[in-house]
Amino acid sequence: MKKILALILALVMVFALAACGGGQQQPSSPSGTPAQNGSGTPSGSSGTEAPSSGSGTEAPPSGGETAAPAASSIAVCIASEPDTLDPALNSAVDGATMLVHLFSGLAKWTQDASGAFHIVPDLATDLPAPVANADGTVTYTYTLRDAAWSDGQPVTAKDFEYAWQRASNVELGADYGYMFDVVKGYSEEDPAARLAVEAKDDKTLEVTLNGPVSYWNELLAFPVYFPVREDVVANEAWATDPSTYVCNGAYTISGWNHNSIITLQKNPNYADADEITMDIIEFYLSDDANNMLSNFQNGSWLLIDDVPTNEIASLKVQYPDEFVVAGQIGTYYVCWNINEDILPASSGLTGVEAENARAEIRQAIGLLYDRNYIVEEIGQAGQVPASSFVAMGMTNPDGTQFYKTAGHNDGFDGYFDVSVDAIESNYASAVETLKKYYDFDEATQQFTNFPTLTYLYNTSEGHKAIGEYLQSAMAGVGLGMNLENQEWATFLNTRKQGNYSIARNGWLADYNDPICFLDMWTTASGNNDVQFGKGAHKDVAAYDMDLTPYGYDVKVEDGTWAETYDVLISTIKSCSDENTRFQLMHLAEDILMSTGCIVPLYYYTDIYMLSSRVSGFFSNPLGYKYFMYSSVN
Amino acid sequence: MNSKTILYILKRILLAILTVWVVITITFFVMRAVPGGPFMGEKAITAAAQAALEAKYGLDKPLMEQYFTYLKDIVTRFDFGPSLKQRGRMVIDIIADGMRTSAKLGLIAAFLALIVGVVLGALAALRRNKLVDKIIMVITTAFVSMPSFIIGSLLLVLFSIKLALLPANGTTSQGLILPIVTLALYPMAYITRLTRSSMLDVLGQDYIRTAKAKGVSSGKIIFGHALKNSLIPVITYFGPMLAYIVTGSLVVEQIFAVPGIGRQFVSSITNRDYPMIMGTTIVLACLIVIMNLVSDILYKVVDPRINLE
Repeated sequence: MKKILALILALVMVFALAACGGGQQQPSSPSGTPAQNGSGTPSGSSGTEAPSSGSGTEAPPSGGETAAPAASSIAVCIASEPDTLDPALNSAVDGATMLVHLFSGLAKWTQDASGAFHIVPDLATDLPAPVANADGTVTYTYTLRDAAWSDGQPVTAKDFEYAWQRASNVELGADYGYMFDVVKGYSEEDPAARLAVEAKDDKTLEVTLNGPVSYWNELLAFPVYFPVREDVVANEAWATDPSTYVCNGAYTISGWNHNSIITLQKNPNYADADEITMDIIEFYLSDDANNMLSNFQNGSWLLIDDVPTNEIASLKVQYPDEFVVAGQIGTYYVCWNINEDILPASSGLTGVEAENARAEIRQAIGLLYDRNYIVEEIGQAGQVPASSFVAMGMTNPDGTQFYKTAGHNDGFDGYFDVSVDAIESNYASAVETLKKYYDFDEATQQFTNFPTLTYLYNTSEGHKAIGEYLQSAMAGVGLGMNLENQEWATFLNTRKQGNYSIARNGWLADYNDPICFLDMWTTASGNNDVQFGKGAHKDVAAYDMDLTPYGYDVKVEDGTWAETYDVLISTIKSCSDENTRFQLMHLAEDILMSTGCIVPLYYYTDIYMLSSRVSGFFSNPLGYKYFMYSSVN
Repeated sequence: MNSKTILYILKRILLAILTVWVVITITFFVMRAVPGGPFMGEKAITAAAQAALEAKYGLDKPLMEQYFTYLKDIVTRFDFGPSLKQRGRMVIDIIADGMRTSAKLGLIAAFLALIVGVVLGALAALRRNKLVDKIIMVITTAFVSMPSFIIGSLLLVLFSIKLALLPANGTTSQGLILPIVTLALYPMAYITRLTRSSMLDVLGQDYIRTAKAKGVSSGKIIFGHALKNSLIPVITYFGPMLAYIVTGSLVVEQIFAVPGIGRQFVSSITNRDYPMIMGTTIVLACLIVIMNLVSDILYKVVDPRINLE
């Protein structure tokens, strides 16, 4: 019996050893680090020292003043596997971050010493002013610098022409195909449509736009405008494997272990290769915020683009210098279905009167919410309370913030006062407004005949917390609202179809021009979740618009949504005077906000953690992260 | 193996094919009945672009036609089609990529669990009510009741952050140690408990007493008679467990950033990536069906008294 026991014990030990066997190789590197640090016990100072001790394989040898300049590398994690690395098909910020490292377009983003962002020529020798044509269109002519693809072939104007025709063609079904709608010849329906872009010779590219576009240079720096080569993309799987991935930017893909890691290697053929300080960028692919944080804390990853929401408060304290809150052009808002009837049966209002009453009610309910509470207690990531739909970060032609010149401007910015002092007066005025339409019980301070709403949001702790807050704010005066969550794709479908009464929503800018917040609300837009101009709202003639002060012979009284807003948006798109165009955009936002269907809550911020060992890194206003000019100490 | 057994296996294989077909059919139609679609995003694409994509992937055809085309492609060409979300990649390649990692992880974890579990279980049974038994029971109870996201997170904090011994991402082979341990702990504890109770049961059987009375050495009793017969419940459990464990665990893959198939399985559903949903479901269904079949056949090998009819 004893023999058997001994045998079994021996077996257990063998397996226990086997189980740990793999682990024996690793400790050798950390066991070396305490000596380097000279700071004491290997495991003692767990939290704050971890980033420097566990720095991993690429850390230079200790104590050597003569350390040879080995290849510099940085390991980061911005998201999980990108859906695509084809510049025409990508519509994600993480994909764009990789693409700006891999491709070189006519223009690019840079940051100067003061921290300001600029669009500068990249493959174009310069970014010339357009030449106006007789028919109101404008033509740009670009001259290309000498540049090569990663397989050695020269980059020609033909590659740009091909790439733009391809990306804008409806057949490709690219999410961002509509980014070419400023170019003459663009059609969102006709597969035979051709853009007015032409390679005059190998070095000259000519493109004609429908009219002047103030953000045109920014579009040139946008990934969907990057060149691709026809023979490369003929292989439909070209952008999924390093061996077939031919690009022309600062880096090439040297390794791609799907769902695990993408490694970028500096491209020696890149025209400005001497400006690139980082030799290797490792993009680890994970979307789990807890995992990202673990890897940041043990020093493996030097930048992570997401952190667990419930850790934000403690991370801000623990890593005051490494927890970064950056601006992002986007708005988190609540949207109403304009066709949802929220009036009590007793109101007896119909048609335009009913719509105006509903607009007033929706605006009043929007004033019940304390946006400071939402950003400070729920968001906790430096978000800014929003008082307009067009987000903070959008600028007027004179450089001032668009939202600061929106709406009232009598003592506050935007369409309502979001300061802490105004909360009580907002609340009181909202209650007064609602009293006009609903029965109010003075004894309990509650409305008694408000229909119970259902707030729709996509499944997520953060959205739920905000929904619960909105619910409680309304319950304070007896306005009932249930919460319903749906999984992402179902939610998108429900919201798009208009099968909801009130829902969570959000919008991030694609480029720095307010039009990308405004043209989404035209009747035919695929993003018109509010259902403006659809269903019963189609015939509601409740809107006024007077464009005569701006030099247009358009004046509409009691017009429908299609007669006012849709007309206004197309006027803006064809307007060639920058100042007038911005005034018209303010006007469009005024109409939009007057419906009360858009209830802005806060302007988004982009939070990430960046190791203090990294210098030379920047993130642009669209959230693209640039590692090419960075270095690691 | 007699002709009856062969007939039984053939019958089971036919039944397995039928099962997989039912799974395919139900998944196909239920998946298409769920609202939302693969080309939907926060920012809507134009109706014309949507139509172009649907035509490209054949989603514009009548549903029944799509169903028969799909079945035909799988049966005749083993073609699972392209992924709708990861454009340019084929479903079969994505699954193969993920399975390589998941299967490696799962197989190591499963056999680790099996070996350690059987040894500990047998040890506990033989030292019944002694200290060893009690310690083993306490530990296994803990592992059986702790969900993997807690064990995983604990191991991560301890070994990756506090001690900085192991990486926190499953990109390298060292990074696979923690996920393997996390995956193995639950089945290991479960197998320990199964083996222990079944071993105790077998040790009380008449034939063991007879063997003892005849003077057979205790080593021969345990390894020749008791252990083998006490493994039947373990085999029942091990087959399906192996199928589940090699097809990836979402939780473990998320916690340790392991590029396995479990993440693909879940994200394909949220993305409405129809061919990916079908592909991952079929692979999982086939594995489970095969593993069940194999465990049933193993019964017969282990215990000839069992009649496979």
